[in-house]
Amino acid sequence: MIGSRTNLGEALKHLVLILGALVVILPFYVMISYSLKSPGEIERNEGGFIGAQAPMVDERCVKLSEPDKKAIAAAKPKHAGKSDREIKDILLEKVRADCTMSPVVFNYSKAFSEAPLLLYLLNGVIVTLSIFFIQVLVALPCAYALAKLKFWGRGVVFGLVLFCLLIPVHAIALPLYIMLAKLGLTNTYAALIVPWTISVFGIFLMRQFFLTVPDDLIDAARMDGMTEFSIVWRVMLPTAIPALLAFAIFSVVAHWNDYFWPRVVITGNRDLFTPPLGLREFKGDADGSFYGPMMATATVIVTPLIIAFLLAQRRFIEGITLTGMK
Amino acid sequence: MATPARGRMIPYAFVAPALVLMFVILLAPVIVAVVLSFTDYGLGNTSVSWVGWDNYEKIFKHSRYEKMMIATLLYVGVVVPVSLGLGLGAALLIKSLRWGGDLYKTIYFLPVMAALLAMAIVWEFTLNPTIGIVNKTLASYCDVQWLRAWPWFDQGCRDTFPLWLGEKEYALWTLCFIGIWQAFGFNMVLYLAGLTSIPRELYHAAEMDGAKSAWDRFRLVTWPMLGPTTVFVVTITAIRSFQVFDTVEAIFPDSGGPAKSAYVMMFVIYEKGIKQNLIGFGAAVTVLFLLFVLALTLIQHRMVERRTHYA
Repeated sequence: MIGSRTNLGEALKHLVLILGALVVILPFYVMISYSLKSPGEIERNEGGFIGAQAPMVDERCVKLSEPDKKAIAAAKPKHAGKSDREIKDILLEKVRADCTMSPVVFNYSKAFSEAPLLLYLLNGVIVTLSIFFIQVLVALPCAYALAKLKFWGRGVVFGLVLFCLLIPVHAIALPLYIMLAKLGLTNTYAALIVPWTISVFGIFLMRQFFLTVPDDLIDAARMDGMTEFSIVWRVMLPTAIPALLAFAIFSVVAHWNDYFWPRVVITGNRDLFTPPLGLREFKGDADGSFYGPMMATATVIVTPLIIAFLLAQRRFIEGITLTGMK
Repeated sequence: MATPARGRMIPYAFVAPALVLMFVILLAPVIVAVVLSFTDYGLGNTSVSWVGWDNYEKIFKHSRYEKMMIATLLYVGVVVPVSLGLGLGAALLIKSLRWGGDLYKTIYFLPVMAALLAMAIVWEFTLNPTIGIVNKTLASYCDVQWLRAWPWFDQGCRDTFPLWLGEKEYALWTLCFIGIWQAFGFNMVLYLAGLTSIPRELYHAAEMDGAKSAWDRFRLVTWPMLGPTTVFVVTITAIRSFQVFDTVEAIFPDSGGPAKSAYVMMFVIYEKGIKQNLIGFGAAVTVLFLLFVLALTLIQHRMVERRTHYA
């Protein structure tokens, strides 16, 4: 549409876009590459993308299972005629062999063993899904009432929804935190979930969608003797699946990636950490040699959404840019 | 509906949960923040006293909060126009390609999906002055003579390349870069949607009226027709960049950047209000923050209204 249609022009455009793509991909490349390489390769910047994958000895693992006096005594009968010193060396050799692994195994096994990463991932799933389900539970009936039922005060309620769209929840974190602290709810799942249970955006979105549903459908359901309650869940909900799916993606991506709010309300209890908090804590604890495992953790946290996105790009782009429909 | 009386109550039953939560979770905290901003409240304190405008005075008098305002506004002022420009540029280029556009779209959208905290940590490694790939790569080009003609590059080769996040001249700009890296794909997608909705006849009409060059077509058709998208992109990017926190906290957890150069508002709210329990002061920053957001939204509404009158 814009620009010349010559091959040269086309090639130039590709060149610019490829340069941009390289910058965009750079950190992903670094993250995955570091998660595969050994500490030495990371420090010296060698080994290309995947590194040499030369077996490496995990010194910490060796230290932990260093043969003690008891182990040496137990191994004595097998090595008759050798001194304790020699037996220890033999055993140590065996431990070192057991603690030898390729860098990629080292990085990823450390990611899961140094911190309870699986638990963090599970917390992430629990929190994001709970938030989404409660959001729908609250928003759907409200949106239905605003779109399809006539009642005194409807305009006021809708005006309030529009006003609340202006308030970014992160911005009011401090008063919310105080309220939760006064209720003794900090460091609970509730603290992670409750502030997000009301999505005024979800209400607005579903209302707009319900406006397009023909009244005849609802009247027919009423004729069949359905209550308003079952109309919401058995008639309106099924018609709204595409909109709900987009909203689900919007909500899950936002809360899986959210770092600020968990940081505020989860202060001590590591059992409640969400994935980003776990990664951040890893960074705080890490010493120099732990870049690999840390990047492995980052990869594990970032990958699920990236893969989901690559599989269902159109839906994801729709969902994430939902805010564009306002 | 069993009885008319019960039937009349049903809508209220449907909106009640949402209404209650809206009041408790969204509206009450705003009021609480405004009230607390005039006090010296702290969690666990036995007494609270009314301090009037003291907290606000502190914000406007202390030099560190002057730095906060500068850092926040500079961050927003850089990230919004640059990520808008890049998003629009990418959208125009992709739209005009004969093939391969979808691939670029996918790649550029990746940062939007990735947890910003994780990517901030990765960028910190990438830009690390000793082991980072960026400075290593720059240093490996020091033999290239024609690049040495660039004074900045020559300086880097003879001395050291910038520490990026480690020096105050570069830290905030580097954070802006990460913010732009993350945001522009989102803007690109909005612009792609906007471009699709421009009727082709407008371009033909413009051409007949003498708009020959690509620039003329852009100036006379594309840009005006993208007006609503632009207003929206500016508002949403501005509100999001005002809330920048993850990158600052991940990279400068204790300081807010070298010489407080990246001491942004959300970080201050977190540091003062939550870590140091100076809730009254944190509340004052919160109120100021909400005023910024309100102002932005009002400006957006004005722009949208003007557009509709114009059209």
